[in-house]
Amino acid sequence: MSPVLAVILTVLLASLLGGLWRVIRGPSDSDRMLSAQLLGTAAVAMTVVLARLQDMPALLDVALVLALLAAVTLVAYVALSESRGR
Amino acid sequence: MTVLLAFDLLLAASIVGLAAATLLMRDAFAMIVAFIVFGMLMALGWARLVAPDVALAEVAIGAGLSGALLLRTLAHLRGGSLSAQGGASVSAPANGATQGVNALLAGLATCALGLAYLGAPQNVPGLEAHVADAMPESGVTHPVTAVLLNFRAYDTLMEVVVLLAAVIVVWQVERGLAETPAPALGTVYQGFARVALPVAVIAGGYLLWIGAEAPGGAFQAGAVLGAVAVLGLLSRHVRPAPAHRPLARGAFVVGTAVFALVALGVAGAGRVAFEYPPAQAKTLILLIEAMVTISIAATLAALFHGRAPVAVSREETDR
Repeated sequence: MSPVLAVILTVLLASLLGGLWRVIRGPSDSDRMLSAQLLGTAAVAMTVVLARLQDMPALLDVALVLALLAAVTLVAYVALSESRGR
Repeated sequence: MTVLLAFDLLLAASIVGLAAATLLMRDAFAMIVAFIVFGMLMALGWARLVAPDVALAEVAIGAGLSGALLLRTLAHLRGGSLSAQGGASVSAPANGATQGVNALLAGLATCALGLAYLGAPQNVPGLEAHVADAMPESGVTHPVTAVLLNFRAYDTLMEVVVLLAAVIVVWQVERGLAETPAPALGTVYQGFARVALPVAVIAGGYLLWIGAEAPGGAFQAGAVLGAVAVLGLLSRHVRPAPAHRPLARGAFVVGTAVFALVALGVAGAGRVAFEYPPAQAKTLILLIEAMVTISIAATLAALFHGRAPVAVSREETDR
């Protein structure tokens, strides 16, 4: 079981690092913010896998908080960008 | 386990690489987004190091609220909106003297950390054994909470005081910040809020309660509830007004006040301050944590708002 989980974990990290390219290069602010949201999803998935792999149910709470709060920055971005000129 | 070793190496390399990339970026917005992702990678690192408490604090504060606070600050620097280009330039040319002083201070901090690491006794057991021995007297079953709220409660009280001091300073200084602009948050946001806000409130209460026996506690719960308040501020469901000041002041102070009163009460009963009677320890710890959670949530929301509530003119309210 755990070798499979370790492979899944590594593939997820690789996909996160692939998305990191958009965060660093952009070009637009929206590209960066949306890829950060995508990476947040990957990080939630990795935390869930780690909870199983390391047999630490507490990490499920970490995944829950990450899933809940990752969207706050996106809402802040939308609210703070769109406000002018309306 | 070689796959796991490869994962660990890749994760460690990407944490260091992303930190370097964040520092080398020219665009302030890109730096903020990279810092948010850096927080997520750090949380994964802490999870791999079997430190779920730190991972939880990192996702709650590092990946969650810090990003919102930094974006809000950047919007202020750009004249009220992230997309507005009319405001002052954020990327002012770096001053050589400032950079020199920063480099010196950062270098000193690095040297101090190195000295502390080299000076620490090697290959000796840490304090885990002492903590494990004292657990029955702590009133809780989670060692981290026992340390934070009982064995070294004085330090934790000072951390709460730091937050109180921060919000006092923010309220004192009038920086000419614009009122929260009215956002155009449409139906997508309404649907999100309807699902996410109740879940976040429950999650905050859950983290507070679970702190006695598992990773969780006042700081994490306060951060989650603070995020709820931030969403309320962003969508203008909550509009700070001068009439809210007494309530807000009470919320800022209640954590520090209850914490200090419990310490004084325990000291008055012929014990050392913070030496809770074991029979009442869990009740006292949960009382302190609940009040500190309220203070942290209110303080984080006030820091996000960035100033004391002031009366807003009619047309600004209607915008």
